[in-house]
This record gives sequence, structure tokens and C-alpha cells, in this order.
Amino acid sequence: MRALDRTTWTLTWRLARAGGRSGLLATGLAVAAAAISTALLLLCVAANLGFQQRADRIDWRNPLKSASPVAVEAVGTTFSGGTPVTVVDVARLPGRKAPAPPGMPRFPEPGQMWVSPALADLLHRLPADRHPVPGKPAGTLGRAALAHPGELVAVVGHKPDAAAVTAPRVDDPRRPGDTVTPTRVADFTGRPVTNGIGDQYLSLAKIATILVVVPLLVLGASSARLSVSRRDQRLAALRLIGATPGRIAGMTAAEAALTGAAGAALGTVGYGLLLPAAAKVPVAGGSWYAADLWVGLPVLLAVLAGVVGMVVVSALLGLRQVVVGPLGVARRSKPPRMSFLRVLVFVAVIGGYAWITDQNKSEVNGILVLFAVVFLALSAIGPWVVGVLGRIICASAQKPATLLAGRRLLDDPKSAWRTVSGLTLAGFVAGFFALFSVSGTSPWGHPDTLAVAVPKGGTAVVRQEAQQRLQDAGITATVGTSTDWVAMGVGKDTVQVTATVPGGAENLDRARTALVSLVPGQYPITGTDANWSGKLFAEDFSTATLVVLGVTFITAIASAGITAASSVLSHRRTYGLLRLTGTPLRTLDAARLEETLVPVAVLAGGAVLTGVFTAAPLTLDGGSSSFDAGGVALLAASFGLGLVGLLAASALSRPLLRSVTAQPGPHPE
Amino acid sequence: MTSSGTSAASPVLVGSGLMKSFGLTRALAGVEVSLSAGESLAVMGPSGSGKSTLLHCLAGIERPDEGQVLLAGERIDQMGEPERSELRRTRFGFVFQSGQLLPELPADENVALPLMLGGMPRRQAVRKAREWFAPLGLEGKEDRRPGRLSGGQAQRVAIARALVCGPQVIFADEPTGALDQTTGMEVISLLVGITRSQGAALVVVTHDENVARWCDRTVRVRDGRPSEDHRTPDGAAVTHAVAYAAEAAGLAGRSTPARPAGDEGHAGYRR
Repeated sequence: MRALDRTTWTLTWRLARAGGRSGLLATGLAVAAAAISTALLLLCVAANLGFQQRADRIDWRNPLKSASPVAVEAVGTTFSGGTPVTVVDVARLPGRKAPAPPGMPRFPEPGQMWVSPALADLLHRLPADRHPVPGKPAGTLGRAALAHPGELVAVVGHKPDAAAVTAPRVDDPRRPGDTVTPTRVADFTGRPVTNGIGDQYLSLAKIATILVVVPLLVLGASSARLSVSRRDQRLAALRLIGATPGRIAGMTAAEAALTGAAGAALGTVGYGLLLPAAAKVPVAGGSWYAADLWVGLPVLLAVLAGVVGMVVVSALLGLRQVVVGPLGVARRSKPPRMSFLRVLVFVAVIGGYAWITDQNKSEVNGILVLFAVVFLALSAIGPWVVGVLGRIICASAQKPATLLAGRRLLDDPKSAWRTVSGLTLAGFVAGFFALFSVSGTSPWGHPDTLAVAVPKGGTAVVRQEAQQRLQDAGITATVGTSTDWVAMGVGKDTVQVTATVPGGAENLDRARTALVSLVPGQYPITGTDANWSGKLFAEDFSTATLVVLGVTFITAIASAGITAASSVLSHRRTYGLLRLTGTPLRTLDAARLEETLVPVAVLAGGAVLTGVFTAAPLTLDGGSSSFDAGGVALLAASFGLGLVGLLAASALSRPLLRSVTAQPGPHPE
Repeated sequence: MTSSGTSAASPVLVGSGLMKSFGLTRALAGVEVSLSAGESLAVMGPSGSGKSTLLHCLAGIERPDEGQVLLAGERIDQMGEPERSELRRTRFGFVFQSGQLLPELPADENVALPLMLGGMPRRQAVRKAREWFAPLGLEGKEDRRPGRLSGGQAQRVAIARALVCGPQVIFADEPTGALDQTTGMEVISLLVGITRSQGAALVVVTHDENVARWCDRTVRVRDGRPSEDHRTPDGAAVTHAVAYAAEAAGLAGRSTPARPAGDEGHAGYRR
């Protein structure tokens, strides 16, 4: 291809090297933007893959029934200090050779208990009367058995006729995977838990990724345009001396590819350096195995190619105007009218979204696609709104700065939209999260009351036994019955036998230890325990919300800043001459600011409403869609942050404006 | 109105002993310039001779290293940038080779901009701006954006913008440099004629002898020094320019184009 031959690369390299300080700055910004995009993208992908790997590794705890079994496996979950402890009971069937469960060198003998490192540590620290599982550990479980390093897991060996592997257990729909009835298995492969907490986290990771990727795209695009706008005149000059559009496009693509590749490489290094720190971030109950967050070479290469491709495409799109004619970009004659079709597209997408979410409430992947489409729809209506605003401002402007701002909006709504698009999309994200929050409060039972489910006829015996055990352990507690839905029982005719234990978490854990195996196959739990995954998810959801909002706002502000800088560069001749003829710097600056602030105020407002609208029909498990104080505070904080950031971004390009207008001559080049 | 308020005898703009260096390169080496109201001066010289630097120093864009610049007896070379900036906006006008109009603004708003910067309400500013279009032969071009104007028309809009605030001195840097010979002559004749009719002084930096002939005087600069100060004989330039301007603007029979009415009315743009 001639456009990318040796001459192109040589010329590109020479121009890049001869760019001087401002050239270096623009190239540096483009490299930095590509690097940040790469690192954040890799971390997003890593989180997605990491959740998947975590989920895959605990499949074995969701046994698959076999026609030719070799062992029995049952799962139960108890708690220590509010943290779940997974207990897997296993027994080898007589005369069969059972394989070792994951993370273990061999099948445990009856009475042997293998524990995860975190549980071993806990057992070591706690007095025996607060041990969530009785007995001494015979060995330590390896990584293959655990979702994350901090997970509390015990694998206990039994005889095949022991109650632990024979008494039936009832699955609790509030916490899928926590309880599994004794199942005859041929191996320990298992299958994924459906609708488990892992699925929720995967959905969360996907939503977060989409919300983060789009502002990153905007950032990459704006930085690529910065290098083009810095060099448009030089490229136009090359056009003038006969370089073909292909050659110019080739040079731009070559430079963009070089900066993109340099940024992507730096970003990869950044990702590598961040990996150990990221692995320490506790999500879904614990920190990560660093290996889970390593995306693997094929994915890494795909992300790098994606970033470089995006930078090249953005640069080429920014170049379009230069390539059109050798006279460069300033021969505009008529303001382009933004087609009303954009509004229709937006309305159609929003209507379609409402209809589809109404039909199919919680199909996460479908909603994700819609989500991306709504994002695109915002990008469609954005320039149209900017154009309308430009007309309104022009009609009413009294001050020169306002008139300039209005005319500029009207003149190039698309480029004005580019400056504010990041913040508009961030507004959308803020609106979405302001409405969509997850509550972690348990609607069941009392946090101090332990419960087991007992068939109606057996309550007296169990109550007596419970009282006796608690008394023997020296724990003051009130034993009674309840119809509240805390523990899961077999059938409808079950009653909850409860023990209300005052005196805090330690006493509660002591009571748990005392009541272990009170009812075979059941661990006494509180209402809070029954909702542990909801509570955990709610906490992580708030954290994720803040992280996603932070990332989107920071990238949006960075892109606004970079776009402001490239706008100064592309208008530098006009600014320079205006300043020369006595236009005060503050007027130019005020025009720049108005040009950004007015569309941001209107569009971000609209985007927030769109976000709220988008969140309204979503009902993920445990999610709710209603405004609360937190949501309002979130919105207020986002607005404040966005405004301050925008002002800061504008202030940062002021020295650039000053320096390009400080050129004494009317020929700044 | 034919005088700028400064008596014809005392010069409106004086540069004396002007020295300016950029690093080791000496751009101005003791230049003396004096200009009366209504007078036009062409500054000629080869590239790099220092003529643009001279214009920048006289216009308060750059400060000379030595020497002084007086506008109506007041030193402007010692003023700070904000004051010089205000001065450039209110008492000077500028015409450059090209690219000085804002591409986003229609022609009338481009001309109205300096008035609005002086605090005049937009409607009034645009109305006053439009009064300049007929004398400059720009009727019907008020709503056009610079991209839809020819090079000569764009320069005439720039002249209107330079004059709209009633400046005392107009500075033109290669005002015909981007135009063909015929259009260039039309533009320079209008510039000289209308500037004179407004009683403003004019400094034109040019390469072109034909352009210089329109001015009352020509200074040739070489290596930062004026090598020759030459007066165009017998006021020929004046007659020539005014007649040409009047003819071009369709104002035959009037010796000067009418100054737009009410220009004393706004304190913000005229000292």
C-alpha cells in the first residue's frame, strides 16, 4: 500500500521529531491518553475474566448427580463474625475409588478436616468455643478449591452413613449455592451455580466495563484529534505541494499508530505494575489471586490492537477536513444543519428501551446491549442539541464572548459536542446510579436471633436440646420458636426454633458453635446471615458505583481538557489576530468557557434524566429503583465534581491560549 | 469630519530612536518615524529588514528595547499589556494579509465585534457596523460568512472592522499580499481614501511599489534602519486615492465617504 510506504514513515518520523515543545506536549498527551485507556481497559477486562475464573473454581461445590457415583458430597454454610464459612462434607462410597477434591492431594479420611489458609488462620486465632467448624485441621486447601485467598472453606471427610452426608438439606433461594443436599457424584467437576452471587458480580463488571469504556473511547479520540489539530496546517501545506490524500492519511495513520502503540505499551506496563495493588482490592468477599487478574496474552494483544485501532481511526476522522482540500480547514461557508433524524433516532431508542425492558425484565446481557445503544443514541442527539443551543445563544447574545460562543456552537456542533460528550456520558452514568442502588438490609428475622428449621412435631425436642447445649456452654440466651423466614426447612410444615443471644457477635458465634449439628445438615443462621450475599453485593455495588463514576468523570474531564487544548490550537491564528487587535484575553477565555459550559449544563441535565430513565426498569436481584438521600447526594456530588473539573480543564488550557496568542506577528507559523 | 482631534501640525504618532533585537539579530537599529493625522505612510523593504517589527513597535504589539513611541503626545511603549491591548482596540485599527475575520461570524458581526468589546449593545453595534458596508461596496454581503466572501471582499470587511471604532491610526500589514493586482489596487485605494476621509493616519507595510504609490510617504527599511524617506509628489496620492475610493464606493461628487453618524455617541470606543 503506497499510503504507508517508506517515504510516509520517514516523513512522519521527521515531522514528529521536528514538532518542538508543543509537538512533544501533544504527542505526550496522546501517548498518556492511550496509556491510561489501555491500563483501565485491561483492568476492566481483568475484572470480568477474574470473576469468571473465581466462579469456575468453585463449580466443584455445586455437585452434579451421577448414575455411577464414587462419593457423596454435601455443602452447607455457617458464619463467623458475619463472614460465610463454606463446609463441604464428603464421603467415599464403599468399595469405590474416589478422586481427590480440588485443592487437595487425596480424598480426606473420615474425621479429617482440610481448611483454606484463611480459615486455618481464623481457627488459630479464635478460642475453641467460637470455632465455626469443630475439629483440628488435617491439611490446607490449595488455590484450586477456592474463589479467592481470603475465602473460609472446610472440606470434611465422613463415613458414608454419617448424618452429614445422608440427612437431606434444603436449598435456600436467597443464597444460591450455600446449601446443597448430599449428592452422589462420579467426580468433583460440578457445574456453575445459577443466579449465584458470582453472576451478580459478573453483571456488575460488565455494566461497569461498558460505562468506563465509552468515556475512554472519547478520551482516546480527543487526544488523537489533538495531534491532528496541531498539525493541520502543516498537513494542508503538504497537500498544497502535491501530497495525495492517501499520503496524508497514511502519515496521520502512521503517527497515530506510533503514538497509540507507545501508549498501549506504557499502559500494559502500568497494568502490570497495578496488578499486585489491584489484586489486594477486596471484592465479593475478598482480595484476588493475582493470576486471576492476568488477562492472558491473546486478550492482551486484542486490547492493544483495539486501542491502537481506535487511536488511528479517531485521528483519520479528525483529518477528514484537512484532506478534503489543500486550502485547509478554514473555508467554511455555511453552518451545517444537524438533521432532525438525530432526534428521531434518540426518541426511537429510548422508546425501544422502555418497551424491551418492560417485556423482559432481568436479562442482563440484553440490557447491556440496550445500554450501549442508549449511549450511542445520546451521541446522536448531542450535536443536534448543541446546534439548537447555538441558535438560541446567537439570537439572544449581547456580550461579544456570548456571541462568539454561540456562533461557534452553531458553526461546528459536532466539534462542540466532542468537548462535552465525555461529561454528558458521565452525567448519564451518574443519573443511572443515582436511581439504581442496591439495598443491603435484611428483611428477615433479627440480627441477634439464630434459627434452625424443624418439622412441626420435633420442635420440643430440639428446643430442649438447644437450651441444654447453650447452658452447658455458659451462654445466656432465650430459646423459642418463630414463623419468620430465616432458616430453610423441608416442606411447609416447619417451624423455626430460635435462640436470641444478647451480647454481640462473639456471643452469637459461641452459640453457633454450641448449636452445630443440632439439626443434621443445618447450620443455625440469623436473618442477616441469610442475606449475606445481598449485603456484600450492596457494599461492593456502592464501591463500584463510586469507582465507575470517578473513572468516568476523570476521563471525561481529561478529554474536555484535551479537546479544549486542541480547540485552542486549531483556532490559534484567529485567536492570535484577535488578541493582536486588542481583544482582551478574558473575552476569548469567557467565550471558550461559555462554549463548553452552556451545552454541558443542558446536555448533562438531559443525560442525567436519560440515565434515570434507563435505570428505572432495571431490577437486578436485590436491586431497587427509587431515589433516596444517597442517590441525590451522588448526583449533587457528580455535578459539583463535573463543574469544578470542567473549570479546571478550561483553566489548564489558558496558558496555552496565552502562549499561542502571545505570538507577536500576524503570522504565527 | 476630517480631522482626528489632533491638530494637523502636531504628529499623531511618533517613534523615535527605536531599537529592537531578537537574540543576536538586530531588527530595528534606531528608527525615527513621525506621522500626522490623515497622513499615510508606506513601509517598504526586503524580507527580514525589520518592517513588520517596526509596525509592531508602533502599534504597541511589541515593546522596543530602546526609544519611545508617542501617540498624540502620550508614551505608549511604557504601558502594560492590558493598557496597550485596550489602546489597540480603541485607538488603533488593524488590517492583515488574511485570516483576520472569524470564520464563524457573519460579516456584519465581524465588524461589530470591536464595538461590542467596547460595551456597545449588540443591536446598536451591528447597526453601526452595517453603515460601513455601503461606502466599502459591500452592500448585500452583511450576512455572509467569511468563507463565502472573495479575498477582496474579506479585506474590505477587515477595513470596516479596523475603522468602526474611529481609530487614530490604522496599521496594515501586507493588506494586498493575498490579492491579485486589480483587487489589490481596489483595496489599497479604498483603505487609503477612507482612512484619510476619517482623519486617521495609516501605516502600510508592503513589498509592492504600486501599493506604496498610494501613500503620502514611503520609508524604506534596510537592516533595521530607514534608508530613505520619500514623499509622493504633489499630493498626487491623496487625489488619486480619494477619487478612486469615491468612485469604487459609488460616491462620485462627494469628496469623502460619509462617516457613519453618531460615532461620538459612545464613550467606550473613542477617547
